[in-house]
Amino acid sequence: MSAAALQSLSRALDERRVLVVCGAGGVGKTTTAAALGVQSALRGRRVLVCTIDPSRRLATSLGLDRLPDRPRELDLARVAGSGTRGTLWAMTLDTKRTFDALVEKHAATDAARRRILDNRFYRQVSSALAGSHEYMAMEKLLELSADERFDLVLLDTPPTRHALDFLEAPERLMGFLDTGILRWFLKPYFVAGRLTLKVATRTGAIALKIADSVLGLQFLQDLSEFFLAFEGMYAGFKERAGRVRALLRSDRAGFVLVASPAPHTLDEALYFHQRLDQSGMPFVAFVINRVHPDPAQGFPATRAAADVDDELAEALVEVFQDQRRLARADRRSVERLEGVTGESALLVPEFDADVHDLRELKDVGDVMLGEAGSGRRGRGRARGTRRLAAAEGRAR
Amino acid sequence: MVLDDLLARRLVILSGKGGVGKSVVGTALALAARARGKRILFIEVDAPLPASRYLGEGPVGGREKEVRPGLSMVNLVPTDVMDEYVRETVRVDMLARKVLASPIYRRFFAAAPGLPELMVLGKIMVLEEERVGWPRRPKYDLIVVDAPATGHGLAFLRVPLVASNAVPVGPVGANARRILSLLRDTKKTALAIVAVPEEMAVVEALELHAMAGKELGIEARAFVLNQCHERRFTGAQETEILRRASEDEDGRLAPGVTLEAALAAARRHIRRRKLTQFYRKRLERAVDAPVVSLPLLFTDRIDEPALESLAERLEAA
Repeated sequence: MSAAALQSLSRALDERRVLVVCGAGGVGKTTTAAALGVQSALRGRRVLVCTIDPSRRLATSLGLDRLPDRPRELDLARVAGSGTRGTLWAMTLDTKRTFDALVEKHAATDAARRRILDNRFYRQVSSALAGSHEYMAMEKLLELSADERFDLVLLDTPPTRHALDFLEAPERLMGFLDTGILRWFLKPYFVAGRLTLKVATRTGAIALKIADSVLGLQFLQDLSEFFLAFEGMYAGFKERAGRVRALLRSDRAGFVLVASPAPHTLDEALYFHQRLDQSGMPFVAFVINRVHPDPAQGFPATRAAADVDDELAEALVEVFQDQRRLARADRRSVERLEGVTGESALLVPEFDADVHDLRELKDVGDVMLGEAGSGRRGRGRARGTRRLAAAEGRAR
Repeated sequence: MVLDDLLARRLVILSGKGGVGKSVVGTALALAARARGKRILFIEVDAPLPASRYLGEGPVGGREKEVRPGLSMVNLVPTDVMDEYVRETVRVDMLARKVLASPIYRRFFAAAPGLPELMVLGKIMVLEEERVGWPRRPKYDLIVVDAPATGHGLAFLRVPLVASNAVPVGPVGANARRILSLLRDTKKTALAIVAVPEEMAVVEALELHAMAGKELGIEARAFVLNQCHERRFTGAQETEILRRASEDEDGRLAPGVTLEAALAAARRHIRRRKLTQFYRKRLERAVDAPVVSLPLLFTDRIDEPALESLAERLEAA
């Protein structure tokens, strides 16, 4: 296991204010974020793990039915004994509520507030549609990063198809606010109820006609009403988007890129790494979950023939070879990532059971940070790994 | 039987948590349908690595490509679909070009919530409606869609409902309603949910099932449990393995394979097999729809023979 990667992650857990955990869907991002949260809390920091997930992943891995949409403290003593100074909190971001709260807080007047909250378009898009999760995650991140109850905020990013969507959300929002599009929408001819095709210029008329045939005037009208209702809040949006941008480029923040050995998740991590590099955002470490362990590792070769009947021997060798093939494919994948980026990755073996509670989360973190001995190598398999294997009994 | 039911539709939508192998399952399903002589279109949405690579083909783009006789593939990229839509609607070339070149249009599309999803679903509807020849017949007998894994698998399918509520009149609302009625038409459309035998994937599959039914009025007709660890030893052999593993036996089974290592690997397999069984039962207990298991493939890379073997499993299910 790589000492440099280990040190980088370990220091980040001790020093950073915000850690963003990114990666493709299904690679164990949430578990990774939660496991790192436990580790940092055990080192004495006050940690909040925040997930933006409409389903209940984090809650499941914390052994809870559901998480509230505001920070809730977990009972760290269950894994730490009584001496620890650190605390661990968790929450799920409720996109709609965050959006509502934002409106409540920043709307210029009561009337404006009502106009937004009652807007049909708003009521639909604020909770239901892709994209609003990312915007709200950014807003929430900004808010939490200033919350003095916490030393570290670990953000589990929304389950986007492209992990990068998350990173680009503030840029997209700023791009949107920057262009003439809003001014265009906010022109008088789009004002609610007074929609008219009488526009000042020929180009304007053509643009409107096209927009009508492509999207429909009603859509545009609703949209412009929606945007109009937000008038007065744009400066604030823009200002906060700029602050998130600055935060994510500062040394108070860091990105943990999570992948599995599956090629497309590694590609995503690679691409992400490249983008971080280009935009001057601080990379912390690659964590590769679900790495198949090499079944041969840790078992010394021997010459004596084994005393097993042929049929069983054949089946045993087959299963062994199958597992070895998976392990080798994984190793090649990881080597490719390391070769391209020049970074070494932290490898977490595939566990034989799912993570159900804080204790198992701690075990996962121990393995990740190499504190339970070498997690991926052979026979002296980590205590944590064994306990995770034992958890399978409970699953049944 | 499961295959009969799915292939009787025009549209099969695969949904499920990211990383469960939807594109593999989708390609296998397409191959199984093709083996029955159907003309298939397999649709992916903005796939960074399109499934055509499994068949040794280069990446397909936004135009349908017949990668095998009777099997076409397409990878729909939302911005391209939107551009195409603008071009078709505006008709006047110069105007369309002007619109497409405008930064306002680009940024609007990037920021307008739900519009990309709606465009893609609209395109799927158009492909479903395509007719060829005389007498007219559908261009494709079956369209299989690998729905984007937004983690929250419903986000994609929910867009038409949201859009038709948010924008009741005009082309956007009208299209949204047409798409929604296609999705809800159980004669034409089937939702199949893919999971793997793991806690979160199964939890999410069940959530997806419940929400699709309750919120969207779309019922899942089948579940596919992918990457299953299947029995490799007889019951007696498993007992022997567990006994011998606890006895620290030594010796060599084959070149490079010690008994000790093989026993450890076998125990690992047994644990995984039991987990598979556990999650399969859990899924079966929770849903009425049939659950089809597909085995974990121990190949270095997924290729056509591997996919054909999965297709056969689907045929036999």
